[in-house]
Amino acid sequence: MRRHLSDLESDILELQRATDGKTVSRRAFTAALAALGLSPAFVSLTSVNAKEPDLVLANWGGDSVKAMDTAYVQPFLAANPNESVKIDSSGPTNGKIKAMVDANRVIWDMCDRASQSSLELGPVGLLEEVDYSIVDKNKTLPGFANRWGVGNYSFANVLTFRTDAFGGRKPETWADFWNLKDFPGGRTLRRHTDSTLEAALMADGVPIDKIYPIDVKRAFAKVKQIKDRVTFWSSHADSYKLLRDGEATMGCLAHTRAVLLKRDTNGTVDFTFNQGIFWVSNWIVPKGNPGGKRVWKLIDATLNPESQIEMLKQMGNGPVNPAAVAMIPPELAQINPSSPENMKRMVITDPNWYAANAAATLNQFIDTVLS
Amino acid sequence: MNTLLRSLEARIILLFLLPAFLFVGGLFIYPVLKVLMISVSDPQPGLGNYMLLVENPALRRVFLTTIRIAVLTMLISVIIGYVLAYRMHMAGPVELRIIVFCLMFPLWTSVLVRAFSWVVLLQNNGLLNAWLIQIGLLDRPAALIRNELGVLIGMVHVMVPYATLPIYSAMRGIDPRLNQAARSLGATSWPAFWRIFFPLTLPGIGAAMILVFIISIGFYITPIVLGGGKVVMVAEYISVQITETLRWGLGTMLATTLLVVVLLFVFAFRKLTVLRQGGA
Repeated sequence: MRRHLSDLESDILELQRATDGKTVSRRAFTAALAALGLSPAFVSLTSVNAKEPDLVLANWGGDSVKAMDTAYVQPFLAANPNESVKIDSSGPTNGKIKAMVDANRVIWDMCDRASQSSLELGPVGLLEEVDYSIVDKNKTLPGFANRWGVGNYSFANVLTFRTDAFGGRKPETWADFWNLKDFPGGRTLRRHTDSTLEAALMADGVPIDKIYPIDVKRAFAKVKQIKDRVTFWSSHADSYKLLRDGEATMGCLAHTRAVLLKRDTNGTVDFTFNQGIFWVSNWIVPKGNPGGKRVWKLIDATLNPESQIEMLKQMGNGPVNPAAVAMIPPELAQINPSSPENMKRMVITDPNWYAANAAATLNQFIDTVLS
Repeated sequence: MNTLLRSLEARIILLFLLPAFLFVGGLFIYPVLKVLMISVSDPQPGLGNYMLLVENPALRRVFLTTIRIAVLTMLISVIIGYVLAYRMHMAGPVELRIIVFCLMFPLWTSVLVRAFSWVVLLQNNGLLNAWLIQIGLLDRPAALIRNELGVLIGMVHVMVPYATLPIYSAMRGIDPRLNQAARSLGATSWPAFWRIFFPLTLPGIGAAMILVFIISIGFYITPIVLGGGKVVMVAEYISVQITETLRWGLGTMLATTLLVVVLLFVFAFRKLTVLRQGGA
């Protein structure tokens, strides 16, 4: 219910932004109608705007709106003065993409999504195939440019802990995380299979290069061992708060939050990239996107080294362009997941495994582990 | 002449009602039917999704958790609501205004904000636990949130106004002279309450129970924030199917089943209260 209200709210804001109180653009109006569950077929409008539609970049809101504008959009507009780009921060879930494509009313041109989404949505016809004649494959990490998705930045879920909780000892591994005797206190894990299963397997002794294919039963059993002491977080803000307030002495957190925690607590909360879980986010393009082929130029531009490094400065999200990784200033390299010395200590997640198994595994996780 | 006017009036009334019918039909009934359609056509046509309710014990568990929490929320809210409503009924104008304000104010606050406020109050190093430890009642913090208890506290808080208002309105409709009549016939205050006043408030209680149950069964934010990730209610499970796993057939089947449970509950409850009233 609230989710829908916030959708509606964002559409209204979008409507205001698009109109400046003057004419209503067809797309914004369509978006508002779609939010109300109306098919625009009911309403016929003559074209009010003959100019090309804005390119719409869909992301997950918060600080990423400003960061993506600074890092990706402004440099692109400077190089392409005829283009216009908008950011829609309402969150491009699989469900929304499917609903838009099924209804033939796509309002997004490019979506920021976890890498397996390209492999879940692409094969069922919900995505445009990447035009690698425009997007340079060499500007992303090998293995993260597939038929329907291009890697745009990296992040990691890392072992985060309070330094004041264990009498000077520092946890180093997920085995320490599972060791409630020597490292007492509450724990927090993501309320999802992503990263939680990997951490559980490492705690059970699986080496970082042998995680995939995930032995789901084994991972579930391991999570159940400490379930009573675990709070499962759903929002990053929640994970931050649990560690900051000491309700959890250890957690598996996004590295961007761990960096913030370390800074905000003057080092009382710390983290390690050791046995971290390394993810690459993707750009995907919903089938029939309004901006058509123009979007590939913007996607290619987001992979330019300057844009990639700006994203690291703004959000802590790591570059995927090898040329950019080589240019990172040393003080940022320590907090960058894609720097070689950090990356080699982490599990590189396998989008193919997730694409094939995510849905069933997530349901089992909710069924058997959470409830 | 008179009858002619009346039938004309009836037609005009129907005409005025037409927009409402269209509104409900287009924006509620049509989408609900579509949801029903998806539940019997995705991934294959047939009742396969509904069979999952029988075959998959996890789904039943999610449903049972949801219904258990909704029923407990309903009972606790209605008891608190009854006491509050009775106090309002007996209160002078100033006190009444204060109670109404305290009752309505949370209603205008976002559910999300309220859930997080409970976290601040009830977490391990929150205000309540700190105070209970300070006065020596506890020696270690009690787990008041991030479990089913936390979900109940949060939901009851949201639901109490919905329980109070129908009961209060039923109480206001009771003729105060009935109480005087009972007293003049020799009843002491308790029998006068229990045998005269209480039965007359039953329709209010029934309305409050229906309202609270229907809203409670679809709670989404509160269980996520206050349940510590370990209390899974149906609404959230549906949301996962629609937005993440794209099992729309499963999600819509659960939504349809939820609707049927609510309708059955309303139907059974109306039967029950009608019988009671008939028997009284």
